[in-house]
Amino acid sequence: MTVATAQPGGRPARPRPSLAVPIGLLAFVAVTWASASEQFGIGLEVGDLIADIGRGAEIIADLFNPDWEFLPQTVGPMVETFQMAVLASVLGCAVALLVAFLASRVTAPNAPVFLAARTVLSVVRAIPDILYALVFVAAAGIGPLAGIAALTFFNIGVVAKLLSETVDGVDTGPIEAARAAGGNRLQTVRWSVLPQVLPNYVAYSLYTFELNIRASTVIGIVGAGGIGYLLQTQYRFFAWERVSVIIIELFVFVFLIELLSIWLRRRLV
Amino acid sequence: MIRFENASVTYPGGVHALRDLTLEIPDGQMMVIVGLSGAGKSTLIRAINGLVPLSEGDVTIDGVSVRRANPRQLRQLRSKIGMIFQTFNLVKRTTVLNNVLMGRLHSTGTLRSLLGWYRAEDVEVAMQALERVGIVEKAYVRAANLSGGQQQRVGIARALAQQPKIILADEPVASLDPPTSHVVMRDLQRINRELKITTIVNLHFLDLAKVYGERIIGLRQGELVYDGTAAEADENVFRDIYGRSLTADDLMGEAAAAPATL
Repeated sequence: MTVATAQPGGRPARPRPSLAVPIGLLAFVAVTWASASEQFGIGLEVGDLIADIGRGAEIIADLFNPDWEFLPQTVGPMVETFQMAVLASVLGCAVALLVAFLASRVTAPNAPVFLAARTVLSVVRAIPDILYALVFVAAAGIGPLAGIAALTFFNIGVVAKLLSETVDGVDTGPIEAARAAGGNRLQTVRWSVLPQVLPNYVAYSLYTFELNIRASTVIGIVGAGGIGYLLQTQYRFFAWERVSVIIIELFVFVFLIELLSIWLRRRLV
Repeated sequence: MIRFENASVTYPGGVHALRDLTLEIPDGQMMVIVGLSGAGKSTLIRAINGLVPLSEGDVTIDGVSVRRANPRQLRQLRSKIGMIFQTFNLVKRTTVLNNVLMGRLHSTGTLRSLLGWYRAEDVEVAMQALERVGIVEKAYVRAANLSGGQQQRVGIARALAQQPKIILADEPVASLDPPTSHVVMRDLQRINRELKITTIVNLHFLDLAKVYGERIIGLRQGELVYDGTAAEADENVFRDIYGRSLTADDLMGEAAAAPATL
């Protein structure tokens, strides 16, 4: 190589280092510090957590000593939670499939529809699941119906967001091919885009199903049915041995769904 | 017949991809377009099926204006024009047959096609198209599992499944090795001759253009700079089209083109 004898003007001058990185880093450290500080933030004292851990020892001991006699009583609510999650996932993911195509620049029919879909999705996702549950419990009364409605909205938000971003990244070649062949918009989406995103869609749907099982504990607390309602009554009575049973069940359940999800994805991709 | 009448395409940003092009392509012709990258070859081809809208002038197909067509009429026009792409543009995750059936979308109702419930006649047309390019045995194989040459033949089958009057091929062999390129070009030539389908092909290898082109047109910076037979297109003509002297990179190579491998 003859790099040493480079022609004049051959090598470019090294660009000036950008100030954005150090400034950003500094801001990041400052915000973190301020959040923890007593003066500006929440006054984080790791010592307190350790000092008081003894108080929780009794509860933790009970949690490690599950009352398996309680198990039969959990079956009914657990099945209800499962059914709520199934229905909410099917409904939510079906709606999300349509919304996702409207919320991607690649498949939206025009800019106003795209912007409207994105805006609606942002609003749907900004509302936490527990707020949906509160609203639907107020509207439909205590019980699984409110829970299904709450979880459905939650699912639409999650799946449509993830799927629309996946659609943004598809190979646009087949879309051009379908248009060139005289296909209309729906046909193009069905045959050029859907096959490309289908494995992702299945994965996202299983993921929300899993989230629904977990979320049902929280929304059950406000009266939206399922295992959460039972969980709430048990911890209100400080029956930690029973709470423990429910937690272990949920863990096993979520774990099994995870395994199923991995297996299905491997078959699809 | 395809007619360009003072057709111009200016892309947003001011690039003149096509300048005041007037051209007639009679039915059944095999026409090759040559020119450097950015000369407007792809734009010319996409102006025919309206994938690229014209800025001025018009393109008509059998007297029907592409520019004035409404979306429905445009789909109607496109249904008679098959298109083949440099990167094949197949949906790799689905089967060969599903890809070829995209050529039948125009004759399939929306609901039917959403459900994937193609009519038996349409499946038959797709199968025949696969037979014509000699890979019908791959019908139920995923497109991703095919070699490049096989994928391009699926691309050709998809175009044939439209039962088109015109086939547009945008650099159909640019992603293929020389022997496979000749196989694909011969497929196109055979289809042109046997089915009398007007075939318009972009190529950047000049030797391929001379072998397979019945007529050659040259584009330079969006302008038509040559229009003649393949026999008349000698080195001077190509030098003129390219605006520089020719190099080995402009040719696919003697070995592959030799009749022995055909």
